[in-house]
Amino acid sequence: MTTTLAPVADQASTFRSLRTRLFRNGLRVALEHGRTRLFTMLFTSVFVFVFTLGVGFYLFNQLAKANIPFKGAIVEGLFDLLFFTLGTMLVFSTGLILYASLFTSPEARFLLCSPARADRIFATKFQAAVAFSSWGFVILGIPIFLAYGIVSGVPWYFYALLPAYLLGYVLLPGSVSAALCLLLVRYLPQNKRQFFAVVGVIAAIVIGFWLYKVGISLKRTAVTGGKELDDLIGQFDLFRSGFAPSHWMTRGVMAAARNDLSGALVPLAQVWSNGLLLYVVAAWIAKRVYRTAYDRIAGGGRGKKIYKTSWLDRIMESLVFYLDKRTRTLVVKDFRTFRRDPTQWAVLILFGMLMLFGASNFRQYYSAGLAVMDRYALSLMNLCGTAILLCAGLSRFMFPLISLEGRKFWILGLTPVSRDQLLWGKFVFALTGSLVIAEGLIVVSDVLIGLPWDGVLLHAAVMAVVAVGLSGLNVGLGAYLPNFKETDPSKIVVGFGGTVNMVVGLGFLVMVIGTMAVPLHTAQIAKGMRGGEGAINPWVYAGVPVGLLVGALAVVLPLRAGARSLRAMEF
Amino acid sequence: MIEISNVSKSYGPKIAVQDLSLHIPNGELFAFLGPNGAGKTTTIKMLCGLLFPTTGTVRVGGFDLRSHGDQARALVSYVPDQPFLYEKLTGREFLQFTADLYAMPRDRAAEKIDEVIDLFHLDEFVDDLTERYSHGMRQRTVFASALVHDPKLLIADEPTVGLDPKSIRELKTLLRKLADSGTTVFLSTHTLDIAQELADRIGIIDRGRLLGCGTMTDLRKHAAMDGNLEELFLKITEVPGVEITV
Repeated sequence: MTTTLAPVADQASTFRSLRTRLFRNGLRVALEHGRTRLFTMLFTSVFVFVFTLGVGFYLFNQLAKANIPFKGAIVEGLFDLLFFTLGTMLVFSTGLILYASLFTSPEARFLLCSPARADRIFATKFQAAVAFSSWGFVILGIPIFLAYGIVSGVPWYFYALLPAYLLGYVLLPGSVSAALCLLLVRYLPQNKRQFFAVVGVIAAIVIGFWLYKVGISLKRTAVTGGKELDDLIGQFDLFRSGFAPSHWMTRGVMAAARNDLSGALVPLAQVWSNGLLLYVVAAWIAKRVYRTAYDRIAGGGRGKKIYKTSWLDRIMESLVFYLDKRTRTLVVKDFRTFRRDPTQWAVLILFGMLMLFGASNFRQYYSAGLAVMDRYALSLMNLCGTAILLCAGLSRFMFPLISLEGRKFWILGLTPVSRDQLLWGKFVFALTGSLVIAEGLIVVSDVLIGLPWDGVLLHAAVMAVVAVGLSGLNVGLGAYLPNFKETDPSKIVVGFGGTVNMVVGLGFLVMVIGTMAVPLHTAQIAKGMRGGEGAINPWVYAGVPVGLLVGALAVVLPLRAGARSLRAMEF
Repeated sequence: MIEISNVSKSYGPKIAVQDLSLHIPNGELFAFLGPNGAGKTTTIKMLCGLLFPTTGTVRVGGFDLRSHGDQARALVSYVPDQPFLYEKLTGREFLQFTADLYAMPRDRAAEKIDEVIDLFHLDEFVDDLTERYSHGMRQRTVFASALVHDPKLLIADEPTVGLDPKSIRELKTLLRKLADSGTTVFLSTHTLDIAQELADRIGIIDRGRLLGCGTMTDLRKHAAMDGNLEELFLKITEVPGVEITV
């Protein structure tokens, strides 16, 4: 015999009011007790917005000077690529955040024990994940299109439709990644490592082959021009087909720019209707499989794995031989945690390989004697790329280190290791790893490009300053602005402290590369344009001491602030 | 109220619960005991619908947790050993959220919220954000929210951890009162004297198997000895077993 049940709750309204309360209370606390943090966050968002707007203005003005039509195929191709890239990034970021919030968070556990419906829990988590992962998309996307609109001259409704386009677009990759996340967790083969290795290898081969074809087409285009351009554009057919949501966006935005209102509204409807449909499909999948997927992940333990020390640990320990035994132990502990999580280092390896692939391609251009591909311009781009990669990598892996100690911090707090040693250990760990990776990448890729030895040496010096400075910034700010309540590192990174850290890091890169490397490259490019005549003024190295000073400040100031904050912390 | 029939649950090759059958009627206070890793929490998670049995069925109030989970969970309240609260809600807002989730009418919810605030002495802090609560305050708030919707089955995992002696005394009285008024209470604990004092029946599980179940008299017969629950527990669980793997 079954028991009589209470009426069914309007769960949508219950969760809506929960979110409203959480937001209202969070905002009130931020205004009362964390005004500095709130305003810094707003300021950094405005800074990113204005900076992107400025870069957008500059680039679109360059297009205007080159007489490239604003509403033609080239700009359309660029927008296709932009939307496709952002969409792909949203698939990954939303999927990762959603996985953590659906399957590992205490809130999910709490809600799954309540009468809340599986699809309702999913909906709440989905909205939060999409908001988290797409704010950067909106902050970066709006200024790019504002700059485009202002420079090219578009009707007023182009601006009015822009937020509707961007908000509608985030639904599509978000829903796809949500559905994939649920289905993978539910039906993934038990041997996950093997599965991901196979998928990773297949993806790398497909991407590698595609990049190779793009490279070949680019080379032909640059050499001959004319009809080979079609080959190059043909490589991007995937983004430009009528089935690609990124192309619906481009079509709509371009139609609005051309003052074709109906042409703008149809793709907008296409984006929203498909986004909403996919969202409904993802919610339906959640209703069917979320609970069983949770059960599977909670109950899917494997056989007992025995973890041992590795020769890699011994190498790391020997690299930091100059530290005392206790700090060395801490460094090895952090390294061991890092190496046992393949999701951490796999991304770095992937980016590193892409960079070397790019560098080897550039070398081919240079060998072909293409005047448009100045090696100093290429190597500067390469330097910037490596520095940004390092900045993103350290922000992702080193900044959250202190926060991830979380509520277990008291264990370290009670050990005979001082908190300064703790911080110093993390700094040395970050520095050792980033020096090895960044110096290796920059030297190998510069050699591939064929940069003269003085340029390679300068780059190695710049990268050393960047590695030291970014390590200091990430570890220092990680201790100064920790988030002990969050267990998901990706949320720590996109939170307030992570955002400040990322923006400061990027500012630091601009200063160091701007003072240490840009003058020499500018002089060399100018010399190249003069046909290689004239000597390089030694004053191009005048910025090096300034860069060194900026690097030293980036280490000392954040580490001092972090150490002070860590010493004052109560557990 | 609870019908667990031939339930086994595996975590990969490890069997956490093996062939467990348990029937607990309405209004019984059942204490579930066992050493660490015995399978208590896994059983509780299956009762809450968080995990599903690998084989066998779990029914609450007549509803199968696998096929009619939403209906079954509407009858259950679960108080875990690590209480969860939304940090940016006040205690009162959390109670309101729980009442809304269980579809309580507004007037009835307001009445019950006041009642549980009074019962668990939350009035001094119930309007503060829960991020400022101590462990004991959190535990009391979670208990209040578990009872706000008048559950038919209350499941509590180590409910006395973090509570002061007075609160423990009050909790014990409350649990007994709830059972007497018809609510089934499923209590998992390591504190044997609480189980002995309160429980109508006691189940002892070890290495996934139910080794003994019944009243104190039944357990004494089973262990073939007199003595208190601690002595019986040690006797029943002392037989060395082998870890079960498939």
